[in-house]
Amino acid sequence: MTEPIIDPIINVDHVTKSYGSFTVLKDLCFSVMPGEKLALIGPSGSGKTTILRTLMTLERIDSGFVRVDGDYLFHMERNGRVVPADEAHLHRMRAKIGMVFQLFNLFPHKTVLENVTLAPMLTKGVRAAEAQRRAMELLEMVGMAGKANSMPAALSGGQKQRVAIARALALQPRIMLFDEVTSALDPELVEEVLNVMRMLGTQTDMTMLLVTHEMSFAHDFADRVLFFDRGRIVEEGPPGEIFTNPRHERTQTFLKKIIAAGQRI
Amino acid sequence: MGDWSGYIGLMLDGARVTVELTVLGCALALPVAFAAGLGRLSRFWAVRALALAYIEFFRGTSIFVQLFWAYFVLPLIGFELTPLQAGVLALGLNVGAYGAEVVRSAVQSIGREQHEACVALNLTRWQGLRHVLLPQAFVVMIPTFGNNAIELLKATSVVSLISLTDLTFQAQVVRSQTGSTAIPFLTVLVIYFALASMISFGMKTLERRMTRGLDGIRH
Repeated sequence: MTEPIIDPIINVDHVTKSYGSFTVLKDLCFSVMPGEKLALIGPSGSGKTTILRTLMTLERIDSGFVRVDGDYLFHMERNGRVVPADEAHLHRMRAKIGMVFQLFNLFPHKTVLENVTLAPMLTKGVRAAEAQRRAMELLEMVGMAGKANSMPAALSGGQKQRVAIARALALQPRIMLFDEVTSALDPELVEEVLNVMRMLGTQTDMTMLLVTHEMSFAHDFADRVLFFDRGRIVEEGPPGEIFTNPRHERTQTFLKKIIAAGQRI
Repeated sequence: MGDWSGYIGLMLDGARVTVELTVLGCALALPVAFAAGLGRLSRFWAVRALALAYIEFFRGTSIFVQLFWAYFVLPLIGFELTPLQAGVLALGLNVGAYGAEVVRSAVQSIGREQHEACVALNLTRWQGLRHVLLPQAFVVMIPTFGNNAIELLKATSVVSLISLTDLTFQAQVVRSQTGSTAIPFLTVLVIYFALASMISFGMKTLERRMTRGLDGIRH
């Protein structure tokens, strides 16, 4: 049986990035297929968060190419030549991508509802009533409709993160990036956020990339796991393989440490 | 002693001029502070340089000299200003320069994570500034703006040097006409203090209103 030919939605092509003398991404290459759920794991400083931030254009790369949905992310074609992207190009590209942050990054001066309606109204010109109707649907979905008129400061961490997910979804991105979204939460609040993500995983065809330390969640959730170490992908494969039968010595060491720290995989 | 009511009337006229200068000066200083403060954060080199030059010039030279320029030198190149206009211009631009640094530092004090949320939600730089960064930064600016407004109030006394009949000028008039020094200057002291207290109180009220909800309870 031949696989139908589908182009990857994300293509990272020989990307290198340094902070001073520290190389955080080393000649990195990988692709993500549309709808794929990808877990990025690895020790801290391995570059997994940097690659998410790069895809969101919060970081720039030193060399290489990133393609998203067929277009260059940091470059554009002009008169047949590839030149660095301008702000308008980045703006167009960002419309395809949403991100949820470790520390939620909600707007503290706006209500929960306003947090969700602001970007669709500003960037897509959605009318207030329509934006509110859709925002309420999303808040309903993440179980936060009852807090629509609360200020973020009145919410628990788990509630904030569910609002942040609704806020990112309101722009209907094709790709969602989750950067350690449960790391800042009290243990008893982790599950309510993971439940929302499970639901997104099964009910949408969004491409999802998550950086996580929740190995058992990554195991159940991801189609594929990338293990990062020192700016490279050391090993990748389906979670069943990576978690139960890691081939590379560094992956084995990392997983042993995780298990020793008390996590179930 | 029946003259005292006349003298008090004179001082109140002066107080009216002082209030007028303060209000108009602030009305000029505020937009100038935002323009120059945001100019300092511009992506464009020329805008940043222009804003910096304005701020450093007006912070680095005396308000007396600035006032004399506005009133005595500008007419030489064809800009004839009334004493009130010259006073408002000098005060507004002088305090605006200090205010610009307040605007800049307040915007920069808003955490990077707010800026990143704006990028992730695909807001343009201006949209992020207008809807996310400035509303939060404004709360930070209010107390220092209050100080600046009080500084402006006190600086209005320099306009007596270009024969504008403000509070300080009228106190001098009363002093020379009555020979009494302590009473007019005590009155002036009390009036300035009362005006400054009103600014203080207004700013505190504004700050309370603006921060409502940020601690978790709205209205």
